[in-house]
Amino acid sequence: MPSSSNHLYLPKAARIVEVIVENSQIKTFVLALADPEENQAFTYAPGQFLMLSVPHCGEAPISIASSPAEPGTIHLAIRRAGKLTEAMHQLEPGAMVGIRGPYGRPFPMPQLAGRQLLFVAGGIGLAPLRSVIKTCLLAPENRPAGITLLYGSRSPADLAFSRDLEAWQEQANFTCHLTVDQGGPEWNGPVGLVTGLFDRLTLEPAQSTALICGPSLMIRAVLGELSRMGLPPEQIITTLERHMKCGVGICRHCHLDSKLVCKDGPVFTLAELQKLSVMELN
Amino acid sequence: MTSKYLLKKDHLKPFLRKLTKEHRLVAPLKNRHGDTIFEPVTDLDQEEIDLHNQPQNSLKSFFFPQTETICDYRTDTPDGYRFSETELQRQPTIFFGVRPCDLSALLYMDVIFLRDAKDPFYQRRREESVLIGLNCNQPFTNCFCNGTKSGPHQEFGFDLQFTDLGDRFLVEVGRARGEELLNRWPQFFTSAEAKDSQAQYQALLEARGAFPRQIHVDQAIKRLRQGEIDPKIWQFLSQRCQDCGGCAYVCPTCTCFTITDQPESTTAGHRVRSWDACTFSGFTRMAGDHNPVRREEAAIRQRFLHKLLYDVAKHGRPSCVGCGRCVGICFGGTDIVRFINLVGQEL
Repeated sequence: MPSSSNHLYLPKAARIVEVIVENSQIKTFVLALADPEENQAFTYAPGQFLMLSVPHCGEAPISIASSPAEPGTIHLAIRRAGKLTEAMHQLEPGAMVGIRGPYGRPFPMPQLAGRQLLFVAGGIGLAPLRSVIKTCLLAPENRPAGITLLYGSRSPADLAFSRDLEAWQEQANFTCHLTVDQGGPEWNGPVGLVTGLFDRLTLEPAQSTALICGPSLMIRAVLGELSRMGLPPEQIITTLERHMKCGVGICRHCHLDSKLVCKDGPVFTLAELQKLSVMELN
Repeated sequence: MTSKYLLKKDHLKPFLRKLTKEHRLVAPLKNRHGDTIFEPVTDLDQEEIDLHNQPQNSLKSFFFPQTETICDYRTDTPDGYRFSETELQRQPTIFFGVRPCDLSALLYMDVIFLRDAKDPFYQRRREESVLIGLNCNQPFTNCFCNGTKSGPHQEFGFDLQFTDLGDRFLVEVGRARGEELLNRWPQFFTSAEAKDSQAQYQALLEARGAFPRQIHVDQAIKRLRQGEIDPKIWQFLSQRCQDCGGCAYVCPTCTCFTITDQPESTTAGHRVRSWDACTFSGFTRMAGDHNPVRREEAAIRQRFLHKLLYDVAKHGRPSCVGCGRCVGICFGGTDIVRFINLVGQEL
């Protein structure tokens, strides 16, 4: 026992097939399940996460940064933040890790079709939104009316996903604004918080949906700004980061009042969060 | 099933001895220090089954051990880093002398571990268990199961249920596994009569009147449902909480856990789950030291609201079963009864 060969807590083996260095703190790990059939069958929805195992380090929840519209590999963008992520950063292509999942409530993709989408991200927070953006661009049934991305990082060198940012800016109906907290000699773009980019927006509240991910301070500022601009709370969607152990709604480390972020989230609308006592809002 | 039988008290030990022949038997035993603890029975002639005191532990650890390996890993297999399942030994167990609070707690754990995601370890142990309950005729000092509606007598969830009627036990059958035990050992049982049922009802009435104090759980729940309570209550309790986790450990319904890797060597180890407590300061702390719970204000907010508000909304009843164990163990004076009373005082 357990009798089935893949019980609730048993990770599957996955191989690192490529490591993309995004910046000094973030690497994107391209993974494939070791079992080719399982890898082929593996699917998920944007906004979901995996429990990642690294030898001797236990597990941590990591958002999936790739799109299910590009099957075959899974992208995990990982910032060095603690013991497990530091160990992960030492791994090279060919190394094995363990994964469980996908878990969590994803972004409401069908509701996004035909809408004006505003993505607001800070740092590593672009990872889960990247999954949504790629899915919007790749799957015709998810086509939004247009996409605007506001992306902020600490410095020009800290901007992650630069290959994606370049490719997306080539797309029709895609507007991208970048900002950095601290500029430099090679930076001639805006300097300041991502909320400083809001005056460049022409937001039509009735047609728009905003998707936000980043540090909690950024989320708070952006939620406030969007509400002031008249976007209804049902159309403001964010995804939260919490400590998690089981990922399946039992261990309760990710409690958020009456909710569990691993199961009821990590994706929440502002309307949902307003009924809770949430760090990101207070 | 409403079949009722009688077991003479003289026949209890012979009956239990029969049970130990085919199952592991867990019962409240009085140890050499005078403590009453649910433990596996090894020698009925040497050990004293104590049905007069509340066991200090609940059944929690028998279904959800304090630590257990959930899988093993090696980093040096021909395929690299791999996980393998842990062998779990079959251990069919009869639990005897389970009081209504602990039985109710087990029914709650069923919801947590089996309703959505099915925890394979809990499921296996639950499937292998037979529950013989014991109704409480005399509540203990810290008991308030009348307030949480999980006692003093239990009406469902058991395989067999015993009620002490002086020189005999009234035995009720709850489920097929209980019926099987009676059919297996019929020589110990006779049919109960109407007067036995009346005696049971009388015992229930007397038990209801015997609670040393009335804890107004319903009133607190009602107040909590009406809205956020005075933040000063959280601050008062959070500052007094000593972060020891004792309440969660003795609580029969606290099921939070953590999962950690325990390396055995540089190439192998176990993944272990252990009891955890939402009141611990590190419970919600993320990498980089961010903590969404401000401990000094809300260390025990989740603990009490989960039991008295969130679970009432989700499952229709509080997940505190009124066993009173946390009252006895809390040296900071921040147990759930203190909280219930503080919420009540806010009027």
